[in-house]
Amino acid sequence: MASGKAVDAVYKAKIPAAAAKLRELYYMAHFIHSHTAHFYALAAPDFVVGPDAPPAERNILGLVNKVGIDIGREVIRQREISQIIQQMIGGRATHPVWNLPGGVTRALAREDRDSIKKFAPGLVGFGEFGLKLFDDIVLKNKAYLDLILGDGYELVTNYMGLVDDKNRVTFYDGTVRVVDPDGKEIDRYRESEYLDHVAEHVEPYTYLKFPYLKKLGWQGFKEGKGTSLYQAAPLARFNAADGMATPKAQAAYEKMFATFGGKPVHKLMAMHWARLIEILYAAERLVELVADEEILDPNVRVIPSATPSEGVGIIEAPRGTLTHHYVTDARGIVTKANLIVGTTNNNAPISMAVKKAAMKFIGKGGEVKEGLLNMVEMAFRIYDPCFSCATHSLPGHMPLTIEIKNASGETVRTVSR
Amino acid sequence: MKTIVLGLGNTILSDDGAGIYVARALMGRLGGAADVREAELAGLDLIEMLNGYDRAFIVDAIQLDGEEPGAVFRMRPDDIRTTPRLASFHDIDMITALALGRRLQFHMPEEVVIFGVQAEDTLTLGEQCTEAVKRVIPILADEIAGEISGAPHRKISIGLSERRNTGA
Repeated sequence: MASGKAVDAVYKAKIPAAAAKLRELYYMAHFIHSHTAHFYALAAPDFVVGPDAPPAERNILGLVNKVGIDIGREVIRQREISQIIQQMIGGRATHPVWNLPGGVTRALAREDRDSIKKFAPGLVGFGEFGLKLFDDIVLKNKAYLDLILGDGYELVTNYMGLVDDKNRVTFYDGTVRVVDPDGKEIDRYRESEYLDHVAEHVEPYTYLKFPYLKKLGWQGFKEGKGTSLYQAAPLARFNAADGMATPKAQAAYEKMFATFGGKPVHKLMAMHWARLIEILYAAERLVELVADEEILDPNVRVIPSATPSEGVGIIEAPRGTLTHHYVTDARGIVTKANLIVGTTNNNAPISMAVKKAAMKFIGKGGEVKEGLLNMVEMAFRIYDPCFSCATHSLPGHMPLTIEIKNASGETVRTVSR
Repeated sequence: MKTIVLGLGNTILSDDGAGIYVARALMGRLGGAADVREAELAGLDLIEMLNGYDRAFIVDAIQLDGEEPGAVFRMRPDDIRTTPRLASFHDIDMITALALGRRLQFHMPEEVVIFGVQAEDTLTLGEQCTEAVKRVIPILADEIAGEISGAPHRKISIGLSERRNTGA
């Protein structure tokens, strides 16, 4: 979706309203499917089965054993529906070849619109169900609530997110807004201006860069007020915005911040809560878009006539603000490209969150149990289940090793998978 | 026996589309003997795609150390961590998907055969496979069609244990 917006900009094309609405409709279904897999399949076992449960039980099968078969089937069903909706709109659920400079390849057929309309209320119900599940199983469990409210998973940075003209969370189009650790707006930019606002620091030990706010300059891995680091992910979006654009998601947003005693929230486990609220928002927004008659307008593409040159597209990806920047020659062949993907924004915060979790849960002189590995890994999984999994080596080993050192720097114990 | 042939891959990344091209070569050819489907991802989607079938043939690209492009390996779900898509980083792996489907009382196939086509290039943007992979697509399609119909057929696939090079 970001690349689609970037090529629109490369060709200086203003896409028809119906094309923008179709892209957003597709994208709402995508958010539901992506967040559902992230939370239910990859993150919820930490909460529902237990953070220090044996790995053989701490997985989606263990989750089903806890919540029951009916709930498990409903999760699979609603995720499948969100995939079907993407396929109806874009031709394919994944890797659609549908976005073109100037719009999309095809209009939405009336019968497909009618089918999506029938699916939509179920998706809203699924969004509400997820929040109730979180309430019942996580928030009403003192141990889990302590985990969320405790300081093991906490990081104080700036926060970034795309907002609409009323500073509400938006995924497809808007202005990038950045707030400081107190919630005060400190930066705001449009797509074409991103290079004036974000820079990427390089460290020799990794090819993944560390983005930071350019005007504050690189200050290293430092948290707190004045840091130039920012986070961009569901909780960051909530902190960077003033609210949600749909009623049920807005109510859930207010409840979440009330639970934490105000904004912004620096407790990282709230990221999963925000993720579930975003499922509800995406479902409500999907209902709005599919009810809009303009979505059936056959005018879904303008043929670009300008000579292609350079363009930037920014959206909110499920894991954070996603920027695509292309420079092309006069034929439209890309000569230069830069991508700042969702998780890359969070590279430095993830490193710091993992370190803080390790320091907190290891404790001075404390016993180190196997569950510690997962407690540390959870700090990563908050942001991105793929990246943490991508550190696996085939065939399926997780090269996670924790070395416990004493005050002299000697390794006294090694725990690994 | 209700059967599905499922081709997995990405047809804009050269040999990564091998599974899908094999599925396309079988479309309209198997009559009522099997359904044929193509998909870009596996993970949780496998539950929905395999639900209702007794037997599944899954075709995907594979990259094993030291193997010649175009070699075809016949595998079982226990071997699947060798194909990137079926051991997805973004989702649950195939063993988990099959187990979850059964736990949720979906009708998951008892027999699952995976054909891994050794890829030469899965990184270059391109809508066709390299020559070595292109050559084996119709042969593998014949093998699968023959196995489903029970007719005599040439066999191109080998088991992982028959590999000349273990990649060690």
